[in-house]
Amino acid sequence: MVELHAEGLVHVYREGGVRALDGVTCSIAPAERVALIGQNGSGKTTLVRHLNGLLRPTEGRVTLDGTDASRLTVAQLARRVGLVFQDPDRQVFAASVRAEVEFGPRNLGATGADLRSAVAFALTATGLEGERSTNPYDLGQSRRKLLALASVLAMGTPVLILDEPTTGQDARGVERVRAIVEAVTGEGRTVIAISHDMRFVADTFERVIVMRAGRIILDGTPAEVFARASWEALRSTYLEPTLAARVGQRLGLGSTPTDATVIDALR
Amino acid sequence: MAGGDRLNAGPISTQSRRSIPDFLGRPGPSAYHRLNPLTKAALATVTAIAAVVLGGLIGPIALVVAAVGVPALVAGVLGRLVRTSLLLSLPIALSAFLVNLFFFPGAERVLLRVGPITATAEGLAFALEILARILAISGAVTLFYLTTRPADLVVDLERRGVSRRIGFVTNASVQTVPAMVERAAQITAAQRARGLDTEGSVWRRARGIIPIVGPVILGSIAEVEERTMALEARGFTRPGRRTLLWSPPDSRAQSVLRWTLLAALVALIVLRLTGVVA
Amino acid sequence: MTLTLSGVGYRYAGADRPSLLDIDLELPDGAVVGLAGPSEAGKTTLCLVASGLAPRTVGGRIRGSITLDGENVDAWPMHRLSQQIGIGFQNPATQLSQVSATVFEEVAFGPMNLAVPRDEVVASTWEALATMGIDDLAERDPLRLSGGQQQLVAMAGLLAMRPAHLVLDEPTAQLDPAGTTLVGEAIARLASDGTSILIAEQKTDLLATVASRVVVLDEGRIALSGPTDEVLNDPRLVELGVAEPAPVRLARAARAAGIDPARLEAAHG
Repeated sequence: MVELHAEGLVHVYREGGVRALDGVTCSIAPAERVALIGQNGSGKTTLVRHLNGLLRPTEGRVTLDGTDASRLTVAQLARRVGLVFQDPDRQVFAASVRAEVEFGPRNLGATGADLRSAVAFALTATGLEGERSTNPYDLGQSRRKLLALASVLAMGTPVLILDEPTTGQDARGVERVRAIVEAVTGEGRTVIAISHDMRFVADTFERVIVMRAGRIILDGTPAEVFARASWEALRSTYLEPTLAARVGQRLGLGSTPTDATVIDALR
Repeated sequence: MAGGDRLNAGPISTQSRRSIPDFLGRPGPSAYHRLNPLTKAALATVTAIAAVVLGGLIGPIALVVAAVGVPALVAGVLGRLVRTSLLLSLPIALSAFLVNLFFFPGAERVLLRVGPITATAEGLAFALEILARILAISGAVTLFYLTTRPADLVVDLERRGVSRRIGFVTNASVQTVPAMVERAAQITAAQRARGLDTEGSVWRRARGIIPIVGPVILGSIAEVEERTMALEARGFTRPGRRTLLWSPPDSRAQSVLRWTLLAALVALIVLRLTGVVA
Repeated sequence: MTLTLSGVGYRYAGADRPSLLDIDLELPDGAVVGLAGPSEAGKTTLCLVASGLAPRTVGGRIRGSITLDGENVDAWPMHRLSQQIGIGFQNPATQLSQVSATVFEEVAFGPMNLAVPRDEVVASTWEALATMGIDDLAERDPLRLSGGQQQLVAMAGLLAMRPAHLVLDEPTAQLDPAGTTLVGEAIARLASDGTSILIAEQKTDLLATVASRVVVLDEGRIALSGPTDEVLNDPRLVELGVAEPAPVRLARAARAAGIDPARLEAAHG
């Protein structure tokens, strides 16, 4: 529903003069599932903040369906691009789970039945339906993180960006996030996720963008990005290919980024 | 040190005896910087109080030159001092100057008229005195701040017996402000990403305060809990003194100087009160 | 010095349910015990209880007994216990004292608080820096380091107090891949040096590398306990909500597809 495009994006932070983005160009199509990986400081967070207007380019531009993002305010962009921050404690403020999840859609003008169904959908997807009146700070850290996700999910934006959604989650939490990514893209919406979990990335996403020092160094399917030919580039930025990829390589099975692809290749 | 704990025996290695590193308590760039923090604090305090006590114009100006200007020159911070203390004192100085220039009671010698208000010579004289006092005080405080690391003063006080908790709180509080500012910025970004309008009317912006202030406070409280646990786990609550690796050097001469300054200040106050000095 | 928890239960102040029940755990000298379990199973609580922060600093009620070499430590104040058991947390930045201008002073903070004689403070600080491999960071400002580096500094700060045991609550949870590698390798070195560690982690691959025993918690109770290989290959891990180590998951997928996992064994380096 929304096509994103970054063209020659450069961003230099005023404080310290750090060149966080050094010429980034890429396009993301509607309903794509994209993982953005790289070291802290590689520019991932800086890049995604350009997509919803929190940061403006020093050079280059970002367009949404052809419209230049710098023509739109952050509040206007929030209708099209939802961004879930990494730390729920820097976002959660309401006295109840329900109020927290309502905040986003309300800001976008949702009311009545629309509001209720948006909230219900988000709470069910994150497993929080039973906690409507719970105080967010009575939930554990990991469920609070799911709450932050729910509150942006409820906004129904065509693009959903998740900043490290699986950090601090246990196995069930990671499964939930995977299911949400699949459900959301199934509706034709785009999901972009920043993650450090290579297994989660390989299992869940169809496109992986690797960043280092403000540039994109790899961009392709998990099979391409975790293929032997890319290992040096990955390791140059402290990333390890998945075990499945390494096993597949040793057994001469070609590029097998996930357990499923290893199994398929062995049959 | 009497009453100290001993650690469990360490690994038996001949290499482990290394000396105290020399980068601790880096000495300042000038002789003035290298004075003991208490000495510098004494100078600043005495100068500020003397500026208030001394009458006339000559006294405060002499203080500005001798107690602020000369040390600043020695320390090499004159430029920064002038900029910073002017910036600090500008609002008060300007309003005090203008109020006295134009509205000094009982003044007769008129200098100039500006519409309904009149600038008088007596007013000017008094305004200049006030200005000199303000400059002396802000200069003295700024000089101290520019040549002394707060941590050094805290450690020095601790060596002299002040509770280390007070020192810790002072130091840690200073660090908290930039952290809170950064936190508030992050939270604002997160709420804007959820459609919070921070660019609209004043009323809309006012309503936006809760989603920002809430997490700042709650998060800070949660953080305080974590920090407290980490401190306790490192023996912070052990009663009594702790070992100091380093403290700022002091000398007999400086000690004498501090007492002399104090005595001079007391003498000045007495002389002023008894009317010997105007 | 063996740390033993017998029949330990714990309830947070104001909580309607206990967070830990019937915990029996032994941490002998030189052992590395891994602690796994889903979120809110009680891993952090167990770390706080083992280190003494619960109930001393955190409040709440504790049952059962905690002993060091047989001696009950209930009456020990926190600063005394911290000389035997050090505890590290997830968030690298909140563990720093914030009042230390250099890494050296930060690491020395603990021994300084204990009023240990100065030359001993200096010696144990240099040792701790060397053990964590961060001698070259000694002069740096701790607040300007990366998350991984800060975590190493925090751990050095614990080691400088020469505790008999180290309790680490998800030390790599908030770190990026470089930080995780840095800290993971440091923990592996400590383990092979014979440091006794109780480490809670979601990353079971890390536990597989460093731990000799693993305990799995579920809703405050011990659900599984035994040698690492046994526990991490237990089929009940998934339903308990614990992520299997990558090789285990791959082997299970192979078995489910009718492929002999032994074919994969050869490929694990």
